[in-house]
Amino acid sequence: MLARAFGPNDTWKTARTGEASLNRFLSKDFLSGLMFIGFGLVALYFGQKLALGTTVRMGPGYVPRMLALIMMGLGLLICVVALVAGSEPVEKPKWKPITLVTIGVICFALLFERAGLLPALIVLIAIASFAGSEFKLKEVIANMVVLAIVCTLVFKVGLGMNITILRGVW
Amino acid sequence: MELFDNLALGFSVAFSFQNLMYALLGCMLGTLIGVLPGIGPVATIAMLLPITFHLPPVASLIMLAGIYYGASYGGSTTSILVNLPGEAASVVTCLDGYQMARKGRAGAALSISAVGSFFAGTVGTLIIVMFAEPLTRMAQKFGPADYCALMALGLVAAVVLASGSVVKAIAMVFLGLLFGLVGTDVNTGAQRFTFDLPELSDGIDFAPIAMGLFGIAEIVVNLERHLTRTGSIKVGSLWPTREETRRSVPAILRGTMLGAALGVLPGGGPTLGAFSAYTLEKKLSKNPGEFGKGAVEGVAAPEAANNAAAQTSFIPMLTLGIPSNAVMALMVGAMIIQGIQPGPEVMTKKPDLFWGMIASMWIGNAMLVVINLPMIGMWVKLLTVPYRFLAPAILLFCCIGAYSLQNSTFHVIQVACFGVLGYIFSRLGCEGAPFLLGLVLGPQMEEYFRRAMLLSRGDAMVFLERPISLGLLITTALLLVLMALPSIKKARKEAFQEEG
Repeated sequence: MLARAFGPNDTWKTARTGEASLNRFLSKDFLSGLMFIGFGLVALYFGQKLALGTTVRMGPGYVPRMLALIMMGLGLLICVVALVAGSEPVEKPKWKPITLVTIGVICFALLFERAGLLPALIVLIAIASFAGSEFKLKEVIANMVVLAIVCTLVFKVGLGMNITILRGVW
Repeated sequence: MELFDNLALGFSVAFSFQNLMYALLGCMLGTLIGVLPGIGPVATIAMLLPITFHLPPVASLIMLAGIYYGASYGGSTTSILVNLPGEAASVVTCLDGYQMARKGRAGAALSISAVGSFFAGTVGTLIIVMFAEPLTRMAQKFGPADYCALMALGLVAAVVLASGSVVKAIAMVFLGLLFGLVGTDVNTGAQRFTFDLPELSDGIDFAPIAMGLFGIAEIVVNLERHLTRTGSIKVGSLWPTREETRRSVPAILRGTMLGAALGVLPGGGPTLGAFSAYTLEKKLSKNPGEFGKGAVEGVAAPEAANNAAAQTSFIPMLTLGIPSNAVMALMVGAMIIQGIQPGPEVMTKKPDLFWGMIASMWIGNAMLVVINLPMIGMWVKLLTVPYRFLAPAILLFCCIGAYSLQNSTFHVIQVACFGVLGYIFSRLGCEGAPFLLGLVLGPQMEEYFRRAMLLSRGDAMVFLERPISLGLLITTALLLVLMALPSIKKARKEAFQEEG
């Protein structure tokens, strides 16, 4: 909520007062700069075993390392500019939708081959419906029934995809 | 008349029953998804990519083009009827389109936009036909260093026209380039960033990235916003009045010209076209005060410009293999998956595909007018389905689509991961489009870079010695310098403010 309390233009002012100084680091630009540096470090770390080669015959590591270094430079630039000039604060993320949607998709992936389309579908729809603002059990069940019929007809019967509806049954 | 021979070949391909059906199906599916509020053409194409992969190349590209037109059309429909633009390009349509709808002229706005788009699409197609050959011939003179410079120009131009911070967008390009390098190195066979996962040795598949970054992330952002629709939707008569027709005809003509010209620019495309056309109409109008209150020119011109630019932005993609925006990047990705390397060879080696696709673009545009106007009632019904039903359903189709790519749940997991990444991007104000462009061009750009350096025996001066490459690099540098100028920076900021 802290970030929400200040408009974009107030960041600079509030940054000087001690209490809100964290705000300066929670700006969109500063954090995205950090993200670029982070990705660059990951690329450098996992690419360190790749041979660099020479400029004439470049090894597999040459271009990735070059890209990672330039990107980190840009990330640093973004961070510095964000601290000096100030930038828009990040909105406080709402964890519920993104977490539930991700969990739903991963559950689907785990269940789909092991248990079949039907259980995967039920779990995904249930979790995804929780992610929204309204959850009415009757509606969700109705949605599941309709989607189960549609998916079976379209993908299994219509397109003839090789998918299991319920492991061991169909 | 080589031109007519080419067109005849194109129409003979496009008019086969099978390809007509795929164009129709693409238009319908594109509209179906595109009309859902908050989902733009990029998300629509990304989500529908898997269904086109199992088709033959010509059919799959025809269908994708159909999906694109359908999605753009669906986007204008939601803009006019419920004031919810699915993409930046249709933001301008909202300004006057929604006001017309509030005055009970929604039907007229929809039909003017459809007819204007069709006219603009026809002109755009003709321009592609005229320019394709000379541009292709020019592109065949390019060496590796020139290509590398051309890609750099394309990437930078695309970044300049994106809204938001230029430095951030450039960093996103680099991140995209890096993601594009995952997999087996073509020259040495070394595994790069594969983390010993055999699934990654062919590189990260393009479709799950697009679906996650654009599809899933967009659904999540919409879920957060609690999309609610108020009031009932009344379409009214589809026939414009005589006065509306008289005012919209010149607007459509001007919009088409402007859009077609801006669409060809690297980095140009529908958004730029639509915004410029709106500004132009406002400047030319005798009573500019009407704009924003339901001026029919404010719908006709941007819609025409939008579609003309959408059409002509195919030119750099088809002839040079350089995508100028996110939609074109998706098309390039789809072509690569079909085993076609976009570039000047496509026209010479696969003329049936090239001309067939162009002919089917026109057919797709015609289909939209013929099919969608009568079916407007159905799309309106779809608009009233609450998001709490739609979101889980879209997610489910995305999951099954991702699985169907290679019958592997690994792709579904990838979609989930890139969904999270896409969400982080949108929270941090980093745009997905430059990332996608980098991702698509990454492998080729590395290839050309390494080849150019090998040919020049490691001398980086090769990029400055070849006249084509030098010219392209100077243009790139100029663009970057221009962006850093304070006055331009300010003007650019203002231009994009109208958008938000």
